[in-house]
Amino acid sequence: MVIYLKSIFNDAGNVTLFTARFFKEVLKPPFEIKEFIRQCYTIGYKSLPLVGITGFIMGLVLTLQSRPTLAEFGAESWLPGMVALSLIREIAPVITALICAGKISSGIGAELGSMKVTEQIDAMEVSAINPYKYLVVTRILATTLMVPLLVIFADGIGILGGYIGINIHSDVNLVRYFSQVLASLDFIDILPATIKTFFFGFFIGMIGCYKGFTAANGTESVGKAANSAVVAASLIIFIIDMLAVQITDLFM
Amino acid sequence: MKNESGFTWKLGMFVVIGLALFVVTIYFVGKQQNLFGSTFQLQTKFKTVSGLEVGNNVRFSGINVGTVKDIELVNDTAVLVTLVIKKDVQRFIKSDAAASIGSDGLMGDKVLTLIPGTFSKPPVKDNDQIASRKAVEMEDVMSSVKTTVDNAGIISAQLAEFSYKMNNGNGALSKLVTDEQFSSSLKSTLTNLQTSSNEFAKFTTKMNDGKGALSKLVSDEKFGKTLDSTMANLQSGTKGLSENMEAAQHNFLLKGYFKKKKKAEAKKQAEIKKQAESKRKNTPPVIDSVKLTTKGE
Repeated sequence: MVIYLKSIFNDAGNVTLFTARFFKEVLKPPFEIKEFIRQCYTIGYKSLPLVGITGFIMGLVLTLQSRPTLAEFGAESWLPGMVALSLIREIAPVITALICAGKISSGIGAELGSMKVTEQIDAMEVSAINPYKYLVVTRILATTLMVPLLVIFADGIGILGGYIGINIHSDVNLVRYFSQVLASLDFIDILPATIKTFFFGFFIGMIGCYKGFTAANGTESVGKAANSAVVAASLIIFIIDMLAVQITDLFM
Repeated sequence: MKNESGFTWKLGMFVVIGLALFVVTIYFVGKQQNLFGSTFQLQTKFKTVSGLEVGNNVRFSGINVGTVKDIELVNDTAVLVTLVIKKDVQRFIKSDAAASIGSDGLMGDKVLTLIPGTFSKPPVKDNDQIASRKAVEMEDVMSSVKTTVDNAGIISAQLAEFSYKMNNGNGALSKLVTDEQFSSSLKSTLTNLQTSSNEFAKFTTKMNDGKGALSKLVSDEKFGKTLDSTMANLQSGTKGLSENMEAAQHNFLLKGYFKKKKKAEAKKQAEIKKQAESKRKNTPPVIDSVKLTTKGE
């Protein structure tokens, strides 16, 4: 029991040190800009189709599912506003973050884990390249900045999906639809939702990197690192989401 | 290097489109709250704002032209409301415009409605204070509804009384409605009236078309003329008769009879005169007695 607790605290301490090291390294030159851009490309651009399709389907399905309930109250005209609000405030950030946790976090965990296992990281250290700066800082920065962008895409595509969903049953033109969407939106809806996506992105990258970077020797630990990265990232996304709602509530 | 530029533009496009989407959304949402573009402020005082909140829409002629910027309690009976309104509509809002608080639908948000002022007045200036109109409170509506309901109660009570009287009373109207005997007698009266009117109709037709004396009297022109000539003959006849009578008076055979008649007549007249005189004689003593009594006093 004591050993188990000790290992948990040990983990927590390592994660804290790992995070602290990121903030120390991110401000110190030299900056690995080329590698950062490459990571942005693989993390952001390559995830776009997946996020786009998910966002579209979420918007469409949400519209079709909410429609009968609203129609019961004769409030179908609130459908665009309601769909846009729930997409922007909650559904698009969380779903996108979960998809990124599955795709990016596991990818980073597996990549860094196999590099660690095959001692490539040690080789980098020997050749006077700071592996933390080159591998970890670029990835965490890339996820922190790319996940919010992906969420914005998911919002936009999801709202378009909602437009198509509404037009399956009734006839609303695009201008009217967007004016209804914008009428229901407020800064208090957009800004907290956007801010929390930066935290989602940061933790997705950070957990993936930590799990990969601390993989033990042996091939099986690569799979383990990838797996535990996804689980931990998904869990932490929900925890951050809950905290974000509480904090947003304070300002409402 | 070639490979690198292959993905850089894709990444650039991804980032630019994403940021543009975000900025455009922020811009349009901000535009609705009048954060961008030129605005001016107006102030108005209310006794109660009935749940108006900061950020509620301000409407002018039914168009959203601004938002409520601030609601501040000045003292225990006044609330100062500050409005942010688009500059474009400033020239339409005159200095005697007023603000009132309404509701957007049954369950909707509160809205502040600006009532346009008189055309001839100058437009409002920035930070002007405009008049306010008392909002229609739900309580007011309820109290007026209560009066209506109370009146309806009185009316229905009276109606009940009326219908009770109708069923059980003895008045003409209630008899008309409830008494069977009365209705049957009324019915027989009406039947009689009908028969008599039928008879009358027959009578009038006969009068118009018949050949009886009466009908001829009324309608036959020829008969009228005959009657007229008869009357003329009769007149001349009576003239002749009166001449005959004059002659008879002077005839010796009948003189005695006429003289007797004259004497009787003269006697009668003398008697009447006598009676009148005796009446006159009886009256003076009455007057004397009256005089005596006055002297005695």
